[in-house]
Amino acid sequence: MGRKIVIVGGVAAGAKAAAKARREDPEAEITVITEESDVSYAGCGLPYYVGGVIPDRGMLVVRTAEEFRSESDIQVVTGRRAVEIRRGAREVVVIDAMSGEEEVYQYDALILATGASPIVPDLPGIRSQGILTLRRVRDADAIRSFVTSRRPGSAVVVGGGFVGLESAENLALLGMDVTIIEMMEDFPPGFDPEVCRHIANHLMEKRVGVLSGTKVLSFDADPDGFVRAVRTSRGTVSAEIVLWAGGVRPNTSVAKEAGIRLLENGAVAVNEWMRTSDPHVFAVGDCAGSVNLVTGRSAWYPLGSTANKMGRIAGAVSTGVTSDRPPTGQFLKGLLGTSVFKVFDLNCARTGLSETEARREGFDVVTSTVQAPDRAHYYPGHRDIIVKLIADKRTRRVLGAQVIGEGVVDKPIDTVVTLVTLGGTVDDLATLDLAYAPPFSSAMSPVIVAANVLLNKMDGKLQGITAAELKRRMDESSATVGGGPFILDVRTEPEFITRSIPGAVNIPLSELRSRLHEVPNDRDIVVVCKVGRRAYLAYAALKRRGFGSVRILDGGMTAWPYETT
Amino acid sequence: MSEKYVNARGLQCPGPLVQLSREAKNAAKGDRIIVEATDMGFKKDVAAWCAKTGNRLVNIGECNGVVRAEIEVS
Repeated sequence: MGRKIVIVGGVAAGAKAAAKARREDPEAEITVITEESDVSYAGCGLPYYVGGVIPDRGMLVVRTAEEFRSESDIQVVTGRRAVEIRRGAREVVVIDAMSGEEEVYQYDALILATGASPIVPDLPGIRSQGILTLRRVRDADAIRSFVTSRRPGSAVVVGGGFVGLESAENLALLGMDVTIIEMMEDFPPGFDPEVCRHIANHLMEKRVGVLSGTKVLSFDADPDGFVRAVRTSRGTVSAEIVLWAGGVRPNTSVAKEAGIRLLENGAVAVNEWMRTSDPHVFAVGDCAGSVNLVTGRSAWYPLGSTANKMGRIAGAVSTGVTSDRPPTGQFLKGLLGTSVFKVFDLNCARTGLSETEARREGFDVVTSTVQAPDRAHYYPGHRDIIVKLIADKRTRRVLGAQVIGEGVVDKPIDTVVTLVTLGGTVDDLATLDLAYAPPFSSAMSPVIVAANVLLNKMDGKLQGITAAELKRRMDESSATVGGGPFILDVRTEPEFITRSIPGAVNIPLSELRSRLHEVPNDRDIVVVCKVGRRAYLAYAALKRRGFGSVRILDGGMTAWPYETT
Repeated sequence: MSEKYVNARGLQCPGPLVQLSREAKNAAKGDRIIVEATDMGFKKDVAAWCAKTGNRLVNIGECNGVVRAEIEVS
């Protein structure tokens, strides 16, 4: 008799665990138990299926239950919910969702891949028709059929996370007037405020309404019970469909009742081999916690990429569960919360710690923000990106990065991911031997430019100010009387009149030498140009002339997401 | 009325905008200036510049990585 491996959940992590366990152990009895009728589907593709970018439901299904049976001799039991783990007897109790009948499965290794579920608060009117969530294939089916039958003209997406943003785009592509409502001031999570502002600006350019720092209070419905409007802390927004994307929580109540250790947020605590506090029980995917590689602290990243890695490891280790030898091969040291998404024409990626997170963790934070073309600036088809790099001044270690723009963002972020994972410094990043030819990158790739600016800052060659910080200083000084920073814009006149920061004074770089008397020497000076190169030259000139407090706006006007005149 | 062509291909911002501004200063009311640029930032810049300076953006399009803008000086 082969060892019995029971897997609860069969989407990404569960399906991967099953497939890997089979490859490692041809003899094992492998059973996948799942509540849903669909297994092994691409959950991350659901927003695009809603929008019709992915026209056919079948394209989302990686492998059917029948294929698992016939090709891999893996039993897939659908429509059944695990309700109890009897750890002493190594049994899991399962209920048939249709008949209510109870079944008991014995295991040598139990892999929990129970996923996460949307958090939907019990607000007045929330049960109105047309208020939907998007998590499973059948949710997407429900949205599609609602859209087809009701033809909603207006939509509200609650929640500015990745699923919310992607869904907003897809609903807009279906011709709806879309408004995103988010409780936090800045979204999506993991991005710094000024970067979030760029994303919000892009949404508004695409005619998506953005209500941030806004709480949903209740829903209005018509006499037939269909949603008509969303009442919020900032007024009422009409909506004929509402997509509730206000976050998810791990499905771990069965693990908890069985006395398996959970993290504070409710995710199952696992070690680097995906083992829970019970050596015969594993947890993978969205129900499992992990560790942040930079901080070394418990973390939770419910993402498809993580789910697959976890599933593979647990699948392999579970086949050796009854032997005493330590599990060999892969293990998961930790994660960086790396994510990438696109919303309309804007690509956005992040990894590691944001500036906000790094400060909260007590690092001696230094950042740089640069704007650069993703390929050689003379090569057709290049697009700009903004790279924000975050490092620790004391250790010179790179802590994280955010990259957004119409250009390629996944390559620069993955470069930083690799570096941060291996504990690299800004110095390492600045001299990486990255691939270059005009169709692919620049001779100095954007991440290398960002690293060089950081080096200049760490070595005291220049002092910068982020857009968020300058905005804060401007707001503070307008609240009191005068005394704000003197914003010196050294671009040419046509650039200045096209778009500039309110209150900025224009002295083009070529005229700076002869007009130095116009620059006050008793105020903080912030030098601004388009991306930073001219500002750096002006900065050096001012410093040579004895100006004390001079700083450069990080990333220049291109990275300035706030009000302009 | 005359038509002036500005080849700003391969120039990074602010090159295209500076060239356009220079031509506009030398142009008469009703003259047309056609600018071709490969810097995609020019798309937004030229629209904003026209709005600020009161010149008319007659036409703007992108083909094979080249932005082509037609401006009527007013």
